[in-house]
Amino acid sequence: MSGPLVAVLQFPGSNCEYETARAARSQGLDARVVRWNDRSAGIEACDAFILPGGFSFQDRVRAGAVAAKEAVMDAVVRAAGAGKPVLGICNGAQILVESGLVPGWSAGNVEAALAGNMSPGRSGYLSRWIYLLPGQEVAARCPWLSLMEPGQVLPLPIAHAEGRFVFATGGASSRGPQVTALRYCAPDGGDPGGFPWNPNGSCDDAAAISNMEGNVLAMMPHPERAACLWQVPPSLCGPWGDRRRALSGPMEGTGPEGPGATVFAGLANSFGVRVDR
Amino acid sequence: MTADRPAPAGCRDDRSGPDPGLDSALIGEIEARGLAMTLEEARHLASIVGRRPTPLELHLFDTMWSEHCSYKSSRSQLRTLPTDAPQVVLGPGEDAGVVRLCVHDGVEYDLVIAHESHNHPSQILPVEGAATGIGGIVRDVYCMGADVIGVLDLLRFGDPLGPRGSRTRSIVRGVVEGIWQYANALGVPNLGGDTVFCGSYDDNCLVNVVAVGLARHDWIVHSYVPERARDEEYVLILVGKPTDDTGFGGATFASAVLEEQLGAVQVADPFLKRVLSEANRAVQRLLHERGIEFGFKDLGAGGIACVSSEMAAHSGMGIELDLDRVPVSIEGLPPEVVACAETQERFGLAVPRDIAPDIIGIYNDDYELPRLFPGARAEVVGRFTPDPVYRVTRGAGRDLIAEAPAEAIVAGVSYERPWSEAPGDQSEPAERACDPPADIERMLTGMACCSRSAIWSYYDSEVQGNTMLRPGESDAVVIRPLPGSSVGIAISGDGNPFIGRIDPFQGGAHAVGEAVRNVVATGARPMCATDCLNFGNPEDPSVFWQFRESVRGIAHACECLGLPDVSECEAPLPIVSGNVSFYNQSPGGGPIPPSPIVCVAGRLDDASHARGIGLRSAGSSLLLLGERMDALGGSLYYRECIGHAGGRVPGFDGTLERKMALCVLELLRDLGDDVHACHDISEGGLAVALAEMSLASRSWTCLGAELPDTGRDPVALYSESPGYVLEIAQGRCPEDLPPFARVVGRVVEGLVIRGSGWSVDLESIASGHFDRLASVVWREEGLT
Repeated sequence: MSGPLVAVLQFPGSNCEYETARAARSQGLDARVVRWNDRSAGIEACDAFILPGGFSFQDRVRAGAVAAKEAVMDAVVRAAGAGKPVLGICNGAQILVESGLVPGWSAGNVEAALAGNMSPGRSGYLSRWIYLLPGQEVAARCPWLSLMEPGQVLPLPIAHAEGRFVFATGGASSRGPQVTALRYCAPDGGDPGGFPWNPNGSCDDAAAISNMEGNVLAMMPHPERAACLWQVPPSLCGPWGDRRRALSGPMEGTGPEGPGATVFAGLANSFGVRVDR
Repeated sequence: MTADRPAPAGCRDDRSGPDPGLDSALIGEIEARGLAMTLEEARHLASIVGRRPTPLELHLFDTMWSEHCSYKSSRSQLRTLPTDAPQVVLGPGEDAGVVRLCVHDGVEYDLVIAHESHNHPSQILPVEGAATGIGGIVRDVYCMGADVIGVLDLLRFGDPLGPRGSRTRSIVRGVVEGIWQYANALGVPNLGGDTVFCGSYDDNCLVNVVAVGLARHDWIVHSYVPERARDEEYVLILVGKPTDDTGFGGATFASAVLEEQLGAVQVADPFLKRVLSEANRAVQRLLHERGIEFGFKDLGAGGIACVSSEMAAHSGMGIELDLDRVPVSIEGLPPEVVACAETQERFGLAVPRDIAPDIIGIYNDDYELPRLFPGARAEVVGRFTPDPVYRVTRGAGRDLIAEAPAEAIVAGVSYERPWSEAPGDQSEPAERACDPPADIERMLTGMACCSRSAIWSYYDSEVQGNTMLRPGESDAVVIRPLPGSSVGIAISGDGNPFIGRIDPFQGGAHAVGEAVRNVVATGARPMCATDCLNFGNPEDPSVFWQFRESVRGIAHACECLGLPDVSECEAPLPIVSGNVSFYNQSPGGGPIPPSPIVCVAGRLDDASHARGIGLRSAGSSLLLLGERMDALGGSLYYRECIGHAGGRVPGFDGTLERKMALCVLELLRDLGDDVHACHDISEGGLAVALAEMSLASRSWTCLGAELPDTGRDPVALYSESPGYVLEIAQGRCPEDLPPFARVVGRVVEGLVIRGSGWSVDLESIASGHFDRLASVVWREEGLT
């Protein structure tokens, strides 16, 4: 397969690498799963990087903290500095935060954290579908979100126990909006008003943050689990739910795209790759 | 004992004659070591080895002859279950069952499935017990050469509001936590399962767990050393966590009436398992690509001793095991502990000696096992021998510490248990008041039938990206495990103890029937079934009668419910894997109710036809399959609204079940998307089935049902005689319906069920239905 080369980094404990690579490949990207310590993989030559979800290094110390110190992350940091697109999904987002790549206000410093979910009456892991709006300032300069329209409501699933973005003192209020790439919202795009539409108590309703340049994106929701329309729950409200309910067979291949496809299509678009579907 | 080898250390050769002190020595060993074997069995062991058994031999045979491993009480009954059908690749016998699934892109794929219980450990240490349950069952599927594509737990808990409610609630929370912590981290989607609350499980919760996998047909691996090992030397590689003393005696623990025994519960590590599964995949790819035959088996009950003896014996070979080469995390453990502990996250691999360094390199260097977990690694620990003898050595002098014919280790023991008929109470309530609005609210908001969404919210059901219908969206979760293929798999596990308690035969038969209905309601055709038979003490003749009856019921239902698609052959629904869990009773309390739990996996040729339960459009017809019989024994209505168990349970009618299932599949095929929704009728009958279909539409619209003819007849509304409800687009319902089918109503706007002269506003019940479980089990404990 030709096309831009995308490394999907497999750390010990990653567990979403294969479906993430699949979702990227379906957009014409040459996505390959690369083991974290495989020095023969030549990742310096890769055009973009994805850190998939999972529980890298067993969430030892803090989720993402150990992976952020691995040698392979030095290469990712260099690539990010050179402007190459980097996406972290869920545990991948936790690794990007722990590596200081996002929000990246001062180079090399960890200025945010993904804290434990805070929601009334429950603790721990939460799986559910939520709704997102692109952040006004970020989406335009973020390759991954380059195909999203302002005000477009994007339903995606979350599945995490530590997804609450918190920022170093003073960060969120002044500079937060500049890096808040995706924000939790109500199904109609309105204010989430706390749980359940802000599912984890995240600061400023942030579901994804980027660096100031926009090429590095750390998102808690899972676009790869919503890349195809058939993956969408039939009970979802809104236009994506309507499309899902109208989905009918026969269904060969991957079928129509789901809401999460835009993240991978956005990257392909930034490389000038388009797939006729 | 061969003449040229020394006798095992600490034992004298006893072939010269009977040892008058043998019995007292054996009794002493049984007591001192806490063995479960009887004196008779110990004597048998002594005769096998021809002397007084060594400590390792005692523990090895104690495990192999435990109920858990040997099925010594159940084997005679299990033989009556149908296990063969054209699609079966591998029935019960190895770690998991295998059936043919489909051909995609020229490659043939099989479905791999295994079903186990982890009941005793979960009662004592719920988090660890439930986590290890997942950890153990996925190993059974991995070791067939498959990728694990889903797990589900079938849970039976005590009464969370009963006299032991506080303990029960903490068990529920712990079990759910153990499940999510393990499966979510491993990256295996949770496919739902079911949860039943009943005070009879107060002292004995049931945690049954099923794992399903996908494997290339030509890459299925067997759990024994290949025949080739007679010509070329094969070694045993042990890989995974370093051996410790956890789970020592675990199989024995599961084979006795429950007493607190913390040491017998193992410690699970999903992180290590995830890395191992990736490394295993790389190892197997290398072996397949080089055309090298190999054997692969997980370490479960009995640890290294069991895996090594079974891998050798099933090929008629022997093995020499060097215990000093086993990586351990605690020095100085007695050899029987190293050999028999049930340390988790370990596999055994039988490969030619020449390739062993390459294999070890993948585990230890490519995947850095020693760095990721202290002491974890792959190591050659033994070699297979054409001489069919099992030998274990240790020490510089390679002292023999066990020696026995390999075949004798796996031959097992068998008992014919006495049984005596003990039917449940058959009495019926004197009066059956029927007030649909109050009854339906009670049923939907009670613990028995309230939404399980609080549990599912902890489970990752979407990892791997294959999930099409999640728990609660349909009667069975539907996944599409082969990217690019239209094939789907639907899976459901069921078992109703309230029926089984009254009539264990019907309990067994309906467990199969309901699992089949749940799979069929999505549009899938059942391929295979698994069973886990959870009962009390089999030495109690009335319990053993319950067991016999339940197995008879399962066998009967399976014989009726083979639903072949292409061929016209009358093959049964095959049971391809299973497990027996006896001794589910506490010293103080009685046995649990007969609790056979059956899981059925089905295939959808085109998953786009998979149907959920949510109503779709006002004006549609509601088609009922299955006559409502006056057999409300064990029903939700009796239990919740009348406060009576009842005695007249629905009779399993295999011919009708089969006809109804085929009718649903034909309607889905012929009408396609005009069948908007399909739901099986189970707890709460037609009324609750329709209410659930209505509530499933609530998140995006609000639709309900109108039932003009049911009046206030509890039989019409609440009977749990088997059936289905289908929502069929307006004007599209066929004219020529079979005699068991009729239109009973239509879909209306609003979250409502309307009968003649009554109406239930489901919106006012919804929060009670969806929030009840969390408010009882989680929120009231003050957790935030």
